[in-house]
Amino acid sequence: MAPLGVLEEQVLVAVLRTRGDAYGMEVRREIEQVTGRELAIGAVYATLDRLEQKKLLTSRRTHGRGPSRRLFELSPHGATALAETRAMRQRLWKGVDLEAMLQGRVLRTSY
Amino acid sequence: MPVRHAESNEVSPPRLPLALLRRLLPRAERDEVLADIRTEYVDIAAEHGLATARRWLWRQALGSAPALLGWNWWRGWTGFEPRANAYRPGGPMIKSWITDARYAVRRLRARPTYTILSILTLALGIGGTAAVFGVARPLLFDPLPYSHAGEVVTFWMPYWWNEEEYTYLRDKYTGFRDVAMEEPGDVTMQAGDGPVRLLPGRVVTANMFDVLGARPLLGRGFRSGDDQQGAEPVAVLSHGLWKELGGSESIIGQRITLDGTPRTIVGVMPRGFWFPDPTTRIWTTQPINPQGRNGNWQFIGRVAPGVDPQKMQPYVDHLMSVLRDRFQYSTKGDKTHDGRFIPIRETLLGSMRPAVVATFAAMGLILLIACANVAALMLGQVEGRNTELAVRSALGASRGRLTQQVVVEALVIGLGAALLGALLAATGFRILATSLPLGAWGENASFDWTMFAVALVIALAAVLLVVLVPAASLWRGELRGTMNSARMGGIQGRGGRLEQGLVVMQVALAMLIVSGAALLVHSVTKLYAIDPGVNTKAIAVVDVLSSSDGTAAMRRQKIDEVAAALAAMPGVQSAAATAKLPLRGSGNSFGIVIEGRESQERTITYFRVVTNDYFRTMGIKVLAGRTFDNSDRMNDSGGTVVINEALARKYFPGEDPIGRRVRGGLTGSWQIIGVVENVAEGDLTDDPEPARYYSDQQVNWLGPVATFVVRTGRDGDAATMLDQFRGTVNRVAPGFAVQETTTMSRVLDLAVGPARQIMTLLTLLSVLALTLGAVGIYGVIAHFAARRKRDWAIRVALGLPTSRVIRHIVAQGTALVTAGIVLGVLGAVVLTRVLASFLYETGRLDPVAFAAACALLLVIGIVAAFVPAHRASTVDPALVLREQ
Repeated sequence: MAPLGVLEEQVLVAVLRTRGDAYGMEVRREIEQVTGRELAIGAVYATLDRLEQKKLLTSRRTHGRGPSRRLFELSPHGATALAETRAMRQRLWKGVDLEAMLQGRVLRTSY
Repeated sequence: MPVRHAESNEVSPPRLPLALLRRLLPRAERDEVLADIRTEYVDIAAEHGLATARRWLWRQALGSAPALLGWNWWRGWTGFEPRANAYRPGGPMIKSWITDARYAVRRLRARPTYTILSILTLALGIGGTAAVFGVARPLLFDPLPYSHAGEVVTFWMPYWWNEEEYTYLRDKYTGFRDVAMEEPGDVTMQAGDGPVRLLPGRVVTANMFDVLGARPLLGRGFRSGDDQQGAEPVAVLSHGLWKELGGSESIIGQRITLDGTPRTIVGVMPRGFWFPDPTTRIWTTQPINPQGRNGNWQFIGRVAPGVDPQKMQPYVDHLMSVLRDRFQYSTKGDKTHDGRFIPIRETLLGSMRPAVVATFAAMGLILLIACANVAALMLGQVEGRNTELAVRSALGASRGRLTQQVVVEALVIGLGAALLGALLAATGFRILATSLPLGAWGENASFDWTMFAVALVIALAAVLLVVLVPAASLWRGELRGTMNSARMGGIQGRGGRLEQGLVVMQVALAMLIVSGAALLVHSVTKLYAIDPGVNTKAIAVVDVLSSSDGTAAMRRQKIDEVAAALAAMPGVQSAAATAKLPLRGSGNSFGIVIEGRESQERTITYFRVVTNDYFRTMGIKVLAGRTFDNSDRMNDSGGTVVINEALARKYFPGEDPIGRRVRGGLTGSWQIIGVVENVAEGDLTDDPEPARYYSDQQVNWLGPVATFVVRTGRDGDAATMLDQFRGTVNRVAPGFAVQETTTMSRVLDLAVGPARQIMTLLTLLSVLALTLGAVGIYGVIAHFAARRKRDWAIRVALGLPTSRVIRHIVAQGTALVTAGIVLGVLGAVVLTRVLASFLYETGRLDPVAFAAACALLLVIGIVAAFVPAHRASTVDPALVLREQ
C-alpha cells in the first residue's frame, strides 16, 4: 500500500479523534485546532473521498433530526494504514538525536 | 424576534464566495457543507468580527477551488460514488442515468418497430426460461421432504421384490439402519352415499416413515406391528386429503372405509410431504406374508451411521450372495446380478431429469438467440446513429458516457421484456408443466411469484449480454471518422464482423435445437411404426371403478349390462370390457403350468380377464381356434382360455396348442380354445410376452377397476362421443365411478412415452428458434445490403447485372449460415447426450436427423438472405446516387 500523505494521515487521525461525529466540517475544525493552521474545506472533502475510495474510510448518512450528514468512520484498512505510517515514522526517527542539534542551535544563538 | 432577524441579516455571509463554493460542490453534499460554512461564518463573526469572517470565507472558497475542481474531475473519471450518497438524488452519476433513461424512453417511443421487436424477442426468451425454471425447480433444486435424504437409497430391480424376500432378509442387511418396502396401493373410498372414489395410495411397511425420516403432523406414523397378521387396519393421510376431509384434528382415531374395509386413521403427514410422488394421498399397511411371492414391491433403506452411501458395492455383493444361497431365480426377476443401490433422489426424480434438462437447455439456447437478435438490432441502431454519436463525441461526450446511454436503453428494453416475459411465464407455465413428461409432478406443479424475480434476473443477465455487442462497436469504432464518411455517403461498406459473428452464433444455436428435435422426430416416428397388435383407431376407452359391495356375480352382471348398453348405442359397432388395457404397463402376471409337463420350470405369463367381445372390439386377430362365446361356461374341472402367439411359441413350439390344458393362477385346469396375435400388453417397446385371456363368464374380475372399450363406426366419433359413453355408464350402473374417458390412440400416444412429449416441445421450440434465427439473418443481411447500397448503385450503373448483386449478397448469407451450421453440428455432437435416454433405435448422432436439420437451416438461411438481396437488386441506382 502506498504510504499515506501528510493530509491523509491528519484526516484519518482527526476522524478517529472526533469519535463518531466525523463529518467534513468537524474534521476540518479538529485538524485546525491541533495544527493551528487554517485548512480549506474543499481539500478536506477531496481527501475524505479519496480515502473512502481507497477503502480506508467508510461513510454513511445520518437520519433523524437536523440536516442529514455524511459521517465517516475508520475502516480496518484505515487502522492498518495508520499503524504502518506510525511505525514507519518511528523507524525513521529511530537513532536520530534531534535534542543535540536543538541544543546546539540554542548554544549558537546564545553566542 | 425582530432584533434577532436584524442580527442574522447582519452576519449573512457575502454571496460571491458562497456561489463559487455552490458551483464547485457536488450536489449530494452541497447543502450540508454550505450550512456548516454559514454556521462557522456566524461563529467567527461573533468572536472575531465581520471582517475576519469575510476574509475567512474568501480564503475557504478560493482555497477550496483547486481541491474541489480536482475532486470533481476525479469523481467523474473514476465514477466513484460514496456509499453514503448512493440513494441521494442529484448526485453526478444518478443524474446522468436518469437523464439517459428519459432519453432512452423518448428514443424507443419514436421507434416503435425496433422497440416492440426487441421487447417481444427478449420476452419470449425470458418468459420461456423463467417458465422452465418454475417447472424444473422442484425436480432439480428443491430438497426432498425426508431428513438426510442422501442416506436413503432404493434397491435395484424396483417393484420386483416380494414379501418372502423381505422377511428372509430382515435381519441380514449389513450397512443399513433399516429397510422398508412399498408397493402401489390405490384404494377406493366411499364417503356416505356419494360415488366411490379412487385414492392414489401406497401400501408400505410399518417402518417406512422412520426410514424416510418423516414425522406426521398429527397423530402417529405406523408402529411396528401394524404390518403383522391380526393387526388393526390403519391408514395415514396426506395433508391434502386431510384438508379435504374437513381438516379437523379430531380425525385421528376415526374410521374410514377403504376398499370396503374400515380402517382407523392414525396420522396425518405434514404439508409438503410427498412419497413417492405428490399425487399419493394415503398410506396403508397390510399384514406381511412371509411366504408372499407377489413381486410388486420396492425396497428402500436408510444406510447405517458411518456408512458412505456412495460406497455400497460390498454390501450389494453381500446381499446378492445371501439371495443366491436361498432363492432360485428364473432369468426374469433374477436379483443376484447387477445389483446396486440407487440414491432416492435419482429413483424418484431421475427419470424426469433428462426431459427437464433438455427443455431447459433448449430454452436457454432460445434466450441466447433472442439476445443475439436484440444485440444485432441495437448494433444497427448504434450504427444508424453514427453521425449523432460522432457529433456528441466531438462536443465532448466521452465514450463511457455514450456507452452508458446504450446500456440504459438496453436496461429499459430489458425491463419491458422482463415484465412481458413474466406474464408469458405465468401463462406458459401450465402448458409446459402438462406437456413435459412429468407425470404427477406436472399435475401438481404450481406457479409461484419467485418466477417474476427469476424473470428479472434473467432479463438483467440478457441485457448485459446484449449490450456487450453495441458497446464493443462503440469502443472499437472511430467515431470522429464517421462524420467524414457520412459526408462521403458511406461508400466504403465496413466489414460488420460483429454482426456476422452474431448470425453465425444464432445459426449454431438454432442448429443445436433443431438437431435435437430432428433426432426425437426420427425416434418417435420409429416408435409409432411399431404394431401394437390392437386397433388404435376408432376405439373409445372408459375406465371405471366398480363398487366393491355386492357379490362378484353381481358386479360381473353389471359390467356385462354396461357393455351391452354401450354396444347398443347408435354409431357403435361393438363394446367390451377388460380388467387391463394393453399399452398401460404390465398388470397381473401369474405362474403357468402346462398339463402333462408339470416338471417344467415355473414361469409366469400375463393374465387378463375380458368380456366375450373383447377381441373383436379391439381388432385383435385370431390366428387359430376361436375366442369366447356364450357356450363357454366354467365347470368343476375348469374352463376355457385363449392364449397369444408368444405363449404358443414358447410352450408349444411346433405343436398345436388348441385343446391342450394349462393350470396356474386359478384352480382347475383350463382348455386352450384359441390363439390370438401378440398385443403390446405391457409397454409399446416390449418384446412379445406370453399372455392368457380368461372370460369374465368363468373368472371373477380381479380388482375394482374395469376398462370398457367401445368401437365406433368412424374414427372421429371415438373422441367426440366420450361424454355420451360416460352418460351411458352412469345411467346403467350408478354405483360405478367413471375415472377417465379417453381414446385408444391417446393411450398409444402415452405409451410412446416421454420422447413424444419432448419431441412436441422441442419441435415447437425449433420453430421459435428458426423464426428468430431467420429474422436475425434477414436483419443482418438487410443491414449489410443497405450499407453498401451506394456501392452497388455505382456498380450497377457501370453495367453490373442485378443477378450478380443478388448472387453476391446471398452468397454472403450462405457463407455465414454454413459456418453456423458447422459450429452447431460440433456443439450438437456433445449436447445431444442429454436426449440419449429418449431415443429408440436412433443413434445420438443419427445421420438422417442431422442431415435433415442441416438442410432445413440452410434453406431457411438462404431464403432469409434472398429477400434483402432481391430488394437491393431492384433499387434504382440513379435514385441512390442522387440521395446524398
